[in-house]
Amino acid sequence: MNKKKLIAIVLSLVVVGGLFGGCGKKEAASTASSSSDGTTDVAKLEPYTIKWYTIGTPQKDLAAVNLEVNKYLKEKINADIEITQFDWGDYEQKMNVKINSGEKFDLAFTCSWALDYKTNAKKGAFLAVDDLMDKYGKDITKLIDPNFISGNKIDGKLYAVPNNKEIGQERVFRFNKKYVDKYNIDVTKYNTYESLEPILKQVHEGEPSLVSPYRMGVVELNYDYLIEGLPIVLDLDSDIDKFENWFTSEKALNYMDTARKYYKAGYIRKDVVAALKNGGDEDKTGNWFIDTAGTQPYADQLWSASFGYPVVINSINPAVTNNTSVSGSMIAISATAENPERDMMFLNLLNSDVYLRNLMNYGIEGTHYNKTGDNFETQTQEGINNYTMPAFSVGNTLITYLPTGTPADKWKKFAEFNKNSKNSPMLGFDFNTDELKTEIASLKSVKDEFNDALVSGSVDPKVYIPKCQAKLKAAGIDKVIAEAQKQYDAWKATK
Amino acid sequence: MNGLPLFWDIFLTSLVGLFALVCVFPFVLIVIISLTDEMSLAKNGYRFIPKQWSFEAYKYVFKGSSALGQAYSTTIFITVVGTVAALAIMSLYAYALSRKNFKFRKFFTFFAFFTMLFSGGLVPTYIVVTQLLNLRDSIWALILPMACNAWYIMILKTFFKTSVPDAIVESAKIDGASEVRTFLQIVLPISLPGIATIALFSTLGYWNDWFNALLYIDNAEIIPLQYMLMKIQNSMDFLRGNINAVSSAESLKAMQQMPQETARMAMVVLATGPIVLAYPFFQRFFIQGLTIGAVKE
Repeated sequence: MNKKKLIAIVLSLVVVGGLFGGCGKKEAASTASSSSDGTTDVAKLEPYTIKWYTIGTPQKDLAAVNLEVNKYLKEKINADIEITQFDWGDYEQKMNVKINSGEKFDLAFTCSWALDYKTNAKKGAFLAVDDLMDKYGKDITKLIDPNFISGNKIDGKLYAVPNNKEIGQERVFRFNKKYVDKYNIDVTKYNTYESLEPILKQVHEGEPSLVSPYRMGVVELNYDYLIEGLPIVLDLDSDIDKFENWFTSEKALNYMDTARKYYKAGYIRKDVVAALKNGGDEDKTGNWFIDTAGTQPYADQLWSASFGYPVVINSINPAVTNNTSVSGSMIAISATAENPERDMMFLNLLNSDVYLRNLMNYGIEGTHYNKTGDNFETQTQEGINNYTMPAFSVGNTLITYLPTGTPADKWKKFAEFNKNSKNSPMLGFDFNTDELKTEIASLKSVKDEFNDALVSGSVDPKVYIPKCQAKLKAAGIDKVIAEAQKQYDAWKATK
Repeated sequence: MNGLPLFWDIFLTSLVGLFALVCVFPFVLIVIISLTDEMSLAKNGYRFIPKQWSFEAYKYVFKGSSALGQAYSTTIFITVVGTVAALAIMSLYAYALSRKNFKFRKFFTFFAFFTMLFSGGLVPTYIVVTQLLNLRDSIWALILPMACNAWYIMILKTFFKTSVPDAIVESAKIDGASEVRTFLQIVLPISLPGIATIALFSTLGYWNDWFNALLYIDNAEIIPLQYMLMKIQNSMDFLRGNINAVSSAESLKAMQQMPQETARMAMVVLATGPIVLAYPFFQRFFIQGLTIGAVKE
């Protein structure tokens, strides 16, 4: 009996110990003291390794480039970095496990569509960088568009360093140049979905084997979305600052009727819903005439190069800076980082130092690319195969070299684009959804159920919109809209 | 032959035959797609008799720019080493449990059984593996977590108990054999069916595992086959789903870097091929193994 008791006591101690051991392991980030004026005397700095996790298909020569970067960093800030890339599909999952288990690392890529910036900042996974940027990141503040900073503040604090790129969202119609030329079409005349009808008819009749005269893509009606994935929008064309249900809004209803017309006329492929899920193959085959896409200055050149056949574009809406576009690419400092000052010094270099930034972007000169001018480069075959990084994710894109053949004023055009991009009235508004989590989840699933079919015109809107509406109401859309309106009006009053 | 009226015989046979066909059909389609020319796939879609045959996909995959070879060798390594390690650990544990004169039998049985009911969950497991055992990015993170399975231990225990008569162990003891010698030279040879079954289960488990790689492996050089396939599919889905957020030019570039449809099908064929081919040989053991844990008389 004694032995049994002993074993029972030992086991229960183990269980209890396990309970405490598993509790939150968040240690406060060490606040190393440093010179108050922010200048760095390299000789006084201790060596430090910066662990950086970023997104993208792991490149074969990443280790070699990492070594080069370290040689350079050693002189500048007596630090070296350890870059690890996670593939697009895994990045979020892997980073979530790392953050939840309190793993020590320094930098992580974050944005609105991967490792969600807002959610993780609120969770306490990222450090507030305002003070750090004032002390060690002055060049960043100078170089990036100020809306990047103000648009990303949560409760007055910034939790990641934005990567300078295009700040606004502008959608365009893309036209397959082959058909534009053949039918002598003036693309500048077409900037609404309804207006496309005559040319769609013309091309469809002239090309019976064309699979997708109108290729389904994103629907741009100049709305700003309250939350990505929810059908609650703010009409940017009107001054009434009220949220509405996308499926009952006038512009969307008109659009869905147009889409239905096009579908029945054969301008949209019959199996469009399946194609939407699988991506369709039109990119490769060029078997399409018109589609929509998000643009940036000189995007048409990029697309023509990627597709292998030329496309021309026409704008649908003027560029808008909204909550999603402003947080499209950022680098956050982890709350578990041991030397956040050094991390900020590195980020400062990454965003301002031309040599470092291009080393990260293109690799080693001579091996992965060759300079063809002061600010131009051409990738070598080795560069294409072994080192192609997602340029937007590794710092200030406006200081990178341009591929040979790109117009020399591309970055100037970007700066102009950013300046002219209009701020959405909702920019900076953080919708507190703590009380509405169930409604939001159900609304998302109703939207997923009906969106593709209605938006592609493959079902009759007269039949399906009432069904969709009924489900949305049951999921609580009115409640969410009312709450959003309340918070929005209150937030507006404080500005 | 089996006493059924002819009509029912034909009917049931064709029903089961149809079911078997439905099961085999997708796999056959995959093999055919992997042998289709990429362009003809884009233009004409999936077909049983492609307009154009091509070995391009396999050439691409074997060329090595897809790291398939490395993933293959990693998978083979962890399967072989893992199965051996798992068998060693589990059979030793189960054998001790099966011996009546083992003093702590009840305790260790309960100890193993308890883990079948309660588990720490994902994050504690992750913390144990990465921080306590420091196995992050190590190939042992792919082997050790799966090396000890309480259910298999129970099966082996029952097997040892019922197929190894006490008399044999006793007689070995009388002849002066040590415990280890008894186990290795007397018990193991006559327990081969049970060991083979568990070996088979373990092999399949290791060959198909991708979750451990997802969690613990950051280094792209030691990822196993299934995980690599899953990664590619996930990444393509992600990029397609977010084509509006990631600037479309970037995501286009990134997607073009990934293996095309036919190459992915070729990878599937190569990843599942060995198991599919080996299965008929081991089918006997599987069926035996399913009942081996059942309590006899």
